[in-house]
Amino acid sequence: MSENPHQTYDARILEVKDLTPREKLFTLRFLDPEIGEHFTFKPGQFVIVDIRGFGEFPISLCSSPTRKGYIQLCIRKAGRMTKFIHQMKEGEVVGIRGPYGNGFPMEKMEGSNLLLVAGGLGMAPLRSVLWYAIDTGKYEHVWLLYGTKAYEDILFRDEIIHLLKHGDAVGCSVKLAYEVESPSCIYLERGFFDRVCKGVVTDLFRGEEFDVDKAYALICGPPVMYRFVIKELLDRKLSPGRIYMTLERRMRCGIGKCGHCIVGTSTSIKYVCKDGPVFTYWDALSTRGLI
Amino acid sequence: MRYVKLSSENFSSFFESLRNWGKVYAPIKRGSIYTFQEVHELGEIELNYTRTMLPPKKFFVRPRDEILRLKNGRWENGTDAEPIVLFGLHSCDMHGLKILDKVYLDEPADPYYKARREKTFIVGISCMPDEYCFCKSLGTHFAMDGFDLFLHELPDGWLVRIGSVRGHEVVWENGELFEEVTDEDLKHFKEFEERRANAFQKEIPQEGLADMLDLAYNSPVWKEYAEICLACGNCNMVCPTCRCYEVCDNWISAYDAVRERRYDSCFMENHGLVAGGHNFRPTRLDRFRHRYYCKSYFDPSSGYNCVGCGRCDEFCPAKIEHVKVLEEVRGSLR
Repeated sequence: MSENPHQTYDARILEVKDLTPREKLFTLRFLDPEIGEHFTFKPGQFVIVDIRGFGEFPISLCSSPTRKGYIQLCIRKAGRMTKFIHQMKEGEVVGIRGPYGNGFPMEKMEGSNLLLVAGGLGMAPLRSVLWYAIDTGKYEHVWLLYGTKAYEDILFRDEIIHLLKHGDAVGCSVKLAYEVESPSCIYLERGFFDRVCKGVVTDLFRGEEFDVDKAYALICGPPVMYRFVIKELLDRKLSPGRIYMTLERRMRCGIGKCGHCIVGTSTSIKYVCKDGPVFTYWDALSTRGLI
Repeated sequence: MRYVKLSSENFSSFFESLRNWGKVYAPIKRGSIYTFQEVHELGEIELNYTRTMLPPKKFFVRPRDEILRLKNGRWENGTDAEPIVLFGLHSCDMHGLKILDKVYLDEPADPYYKARREKTFIVGISCMPDEYCFCKSLGTHFAMDGFDLFLHELPDGWLVRIGSVRGHEVVWENGELFEEVTDEDLKHFKEFEERRANAFQKEIPQEGLADMLDLAYNSPVWKEYAEICLACGNCNMVCPTCRCYEVCDNWISAYDAVRERRYDSCFMENHGLVAGGHNFRPTRLDRFRHRYYCKSYFDPSSGYNCVGCGRCDEFCPAKIEHVKVLEEVRGSLR
């Protein structure tokens, strides 16, 4: 039955970590070592998680293909299925199929500067890019602009704070914007007054000079964020072909059959699961409804 | 293409010979509608039917389809395919299947669809359009492939086009039932096709259609129709090319569960809803427009996602006419 694309592969939950009150990080390993060996993916791709007898849901991979032997998924408790997996414990088994989608063109971007713009849960797929870039060292410099609601909502907080402190040594500059003030945020802001500020993610662009001929922007965040971030990037004359964004839609099958993620009009129809979820701004200009 | 003639007196023997292939499904009349059902004798079949309510997609993408079955904690293949004969398909439905093929056989191929498709013997039949048909303007009124045998009505029998190796085999095995095509048969075939071509009452003007619809994205016509539309999803169910499906797991006992997929409709409010509550097509207008755009998308390799069968018009409780909507939207640009 291996040729059946609906069949999933068993993976054991190695670790469950609370990231925020709503999000948990699941570290998984395939039971079959051969599958674990051959399972590889590109940053920006996603998998379908199968909880037997309850259903399936798509989730983006937030670990990096450079770190073998396990995969990580950052899952927000948002619905019936995710609520169920939040109750699962280390040692339990779920099904995984994938990886699906096109992912970010990491090879094409080698030697360039990467500008990662994340909003909220959008940090998850971009963490995969971040790790990949740091691990391979094939990119000149990486900026991460991360907008979050409050201190408690910062995903991968330890990693982010670590990079705030020591990121420059590995060619990575992190900037953080928060909306809700709290003592922790103020403390953080005092420590990194030029890197942390109150505001939204677009405020982090202020005062930054990017070499637009050598840069690629990779965006992921809530739907409302794209318009503002893209405007900011276009104002800085970044070419639409260098703006990549990863989108969310209802992806039921992941293989371009079930039709839920179709966007576009009579001249251009795209399956977000198959043609995306990573699109350039050119794609957004030619396919209505993409952003 | 190879052509043979099947005379009227041999028709029932030919029908019987098809039963060697597998169960035969053909259009029958039930109440006021036609439907593809299993038939055991020729007399049950309604050869002069207009269109069935559910298109033949129901044999390949079933309204409810068990895809996996949970046994001892592992998913097992839940469904299998048996050889069947689909008897009496119209050309538009064959084109509909070709559009489904493009989706379901594209990598990674859907194994259930593929197995059923491979085990199905298709016999087409010529038809006369009614007031709902607009297949001619979409080029789907004549099937060049996608069938094993295609029967064209003649005054004294049928002109048979053989479209596949399997079709050849069936004709070969029943050689005594068929004869050579005569000049007179050709004359009748030509006459029938001409009469048919002139019988169409509806057409979609295709020139620049896709672009013009796209340009008319904000047309008030969409809104007018979205208000009339009941959002029942009937048009999706009866459409030979609509194939959205939803998946759900059902427990049948404490130990066994099935993963089932079933028809879904882009008119349903939760079609574009994602976890966390964001809906990418929140209004009925968005969903109405989406269906029309999806149907009018032009794929260079397979044409429009609409075959002009007229089912969505005939079975729309709000009497919305597909062609009229497109014409009005296009007209609103002027």
